[in-house]
Amino acid sequence: MTVPAINVEGLRFSYGDLEAVKGISFDVQPGEILGFLGPNGAGKSTTIKMLTGQITPKGGKAQVLGIDISADDADLQAQIGVCFEEKNLYLNMSAKENLDFYASLFGIKEPETMEILRRVGLAERAKDRVHTFSKGMRQRMMISRAFVNKPKVLFLDEPTDGLDPVTSASIRKTIREEADRGAAVLLTTHDMFEADELSDRIAFLNDGEIVAIDTAENLKLKYGTRSVKVRLRDGAGVREEHIELASDGSSARLAELAASPDLLTIHTEEATLEKIFIELTGRGLAG
Amino acid sequence: MSRIVSRPAIIRALLKKELKAYSRDKVYLFLTLLVLIAIPLTYKFMPSKVNETITLAVSPSVSSMVEDAKDSLKAMGATDAQLAELDNADLSQEQEGLLLIEFDNEEDMQSVVEGKLEAWRAEDGALILRDPETDQDKPPNAEKLGLDIGIAFPKDFISNVAAGKSGVAVTVYSDANVPEEIQGAMTSFVREAAYQLAGKQLPVTMADDASIVLGTDRAGDQVSLKDKLRPMLIFMVLLMETFSMASLVSTEVLQRTVTAVLVTPAKTSDFLIAKTIFGTAMSMGQGLFVLLLVGGLTAGNWSLVLATLLMGSMMFTGIALFVGSSGKDFMGQLFYSMLFMIPLLIPSFSVLFPGTAASWVRVIPTYPIIDTLVGAFNYSMTWSDAAGSLAYAAVWVVALFGAGLFTLKRKVKSL
Ligand SMILES: Nc1ncnc2c1ncn2[C@@H]1O[C@H](COP(=O)(O)OP(=O)(O)O)[C@@H](O)[C@H]1O
Ligand SMILES: [Mg+2]
Repeated sequence: MTVPAINVEGLRFSYGDLEAVKGISFDVQPGEILGFLGPNGAGKSTTIKMLTGQITPKGGKAQVLGIDISADDADLQAQIGVCFEEKNLYLNMSAKENLDFYASLFGIKEPETMEILRRVGLAERAKDRVHTFSKGMRQRMMISRAFVNKPKVLFLDEPTDGLDPVTSASIRKTIREEADRGAAVLLTTHDMFEADELSDRIAFLNDGEIVAIDTAENLKLKYGTRSVKVRLRDGAGVREEHIELASDGSSARLAELAASPDLLTIHTEEATLEKIFIELTGRGLAG
Repeated sequence: MSRIVSRPAIIRALLKKELKAYSRDKVYLFLTLLVLIAIPLTYKFMPSKVNETITLAVSPSVSSMVEDAKDSLKAMGATDAQLAELDNADLSQEQEGLLLIEFDNEEDMQSVVEGKLEAWRAEDGALILRDPETDQDKPPNAEKLGLDIGIAFPKDFISNVAAGKSGVAVTVYSDANVPEEIQGAMTSFVREAAYQLAGKQLPVTMADDASIVLGTDRAGDQVSLKDKLRPMLIFMVLLMETFSMASLVSTEVLQRTVTAVLVTPAKTSDFLIAKTIFGTAMSMGQGLFVLLLVGGLTAGNWSLVLATLLMGSMMFTGIALFVGSSGKDFMGQLFYSMLFMIPLLIPSFSVLFPGTAASWVRVIPTYPIIDTLVGAFNYSMTWSDAAGSLAYAAVWVVALFGAGLFTLKRKVKSL
């Protein structure tokens, strides 16, 4: 078995009395994308901050590339890439200068800056100062900066937060390319579609705890219930009926409704990750 | 696996970025220009002489003191010609902004200073005393004198000083309404005046508020206001640079670019070292520029001036790093800046009145810097005179950097 790129056991953190991360365990393999899905305040960013050495865990153990994270090891830092939640770019410097500077901190003599900017669609703006960039362009800068050192492990905190669908899709494509290159990716999001589309496995994080961790497929099979929504004419209005497919008498009831003269439409309802999340935690992903 | 990037390479990279950030920020550029233009201009247009006349009362009259001292001066080898020169010295005329009013009697002088008696000066220079309680007429063709301060010399003052006796006390009277700070300044002034009267420049220390005792301390030459202000100008340059540096650190903290730097192989200490080198170089550079313009390298002990400038640049950069990493937001930043800057400014005022700094002022970290600058500029202070001050400043520099590193590390963890 290969050494996991990220290996976490019982990791904990608290801000004063507030327990933000309550002893979580998981691992991420090289080339794998693990999606951390949870609402705001679940502890996603706190976990990334611990794993990237920004804050010191209050308990538990974690290794990245087999190196203990408490070691503050420059060799480890040379091999990780981080996309922060805040867009902490040097606004007075151009896109190219930002990436060149960052590359120089890794001792990279000839950074492939233009190539990286091309991948995120910013090559034409390379010489423009970042303060002239839109929110989406800055976010693309954030992602590209995380790629500068060709990291073996990528920590991406809400990389597509607040972006339009087209930009989001292009950023997801580049993240997938990084994983295909062999990078382990820990990605946080509160967007279930993103988690579903991009992640090899998904960890549901709620209130500092991992409530479930598996592939999207398995999560849906394990927790989700398949159901059908039937819409019928009801006098002047419309009536809806939900039928859970696995429940008793569901097929008889469905056949009965299907034969009804009032039938308007039948929709299959696949369990979404959000529904499963609600089922497991009693709360949604928003807010 | 070996570390692929060396610390010097990281620090070089950080310095390059520092230079870009500095050169592109309008506020920093404005502050720098302000320093480089306004300060030398202020210096250029500053009067090199103080025009205001200071009126000072003394007792007994200088001529009587000289008379009394003649025998002992003669015994010490003074020639008749020298003694005659003393007799001919006319002290009643205004000289170098100093008007001397002589009293024969110490009690009269004390009464005038305390406001119980009025002193009028007739056209011929004669002194007329008037009791304001009585209905005695105001003397005609006379000018009323405002005397806030008077010095009473012991009768044998000159002979004692000439004999090199230590512990010769001079009593300084001042009106109780005169604020304490002014009294201190006056006392210092009186001390310098006393040197002139004694014809010698003797070291002195202040015994208490009311009297000064001749003893051992740095000799004070008469230095023009313009010259006195030179070290203060340098101090101002360093102070302005501190604001720029503090904001170079705080923008990185507030915009959180520092966290992006610190998840790479760069360490907090690399970050601070780069800021320190950059800040010290900027302060040094601007300080040198202003020094050259005000002729600071041609006067006094220039190598000591340079060394002190370096120490001062480092100290102010240390303060900037500490302040810059303290505030949580812009207002917090401003609050911390003020909290630190105001007390650190206090020692620079002691420049105007050398030797008046109270003991609590001497403890302030910037005091040894300004004190050494003043000494090296205007009082030919030597390296060995300055060693203690510089060592004290060095301790503060180390402490400030320690505090800066600690604060920044803590701050980064709370982002
Ligand atoms: N610097 C901080 N100080 C105090 N509490 C914090 C801080 N950062 C986060 N928290 C709290 O810790 C919890 C987890 O936050 P975070 O890890 O940012 O969640 P997420 O990234 O999942 O939205 C939240 O309750 C949040 O309010
Ligand atoms: Mg977050």
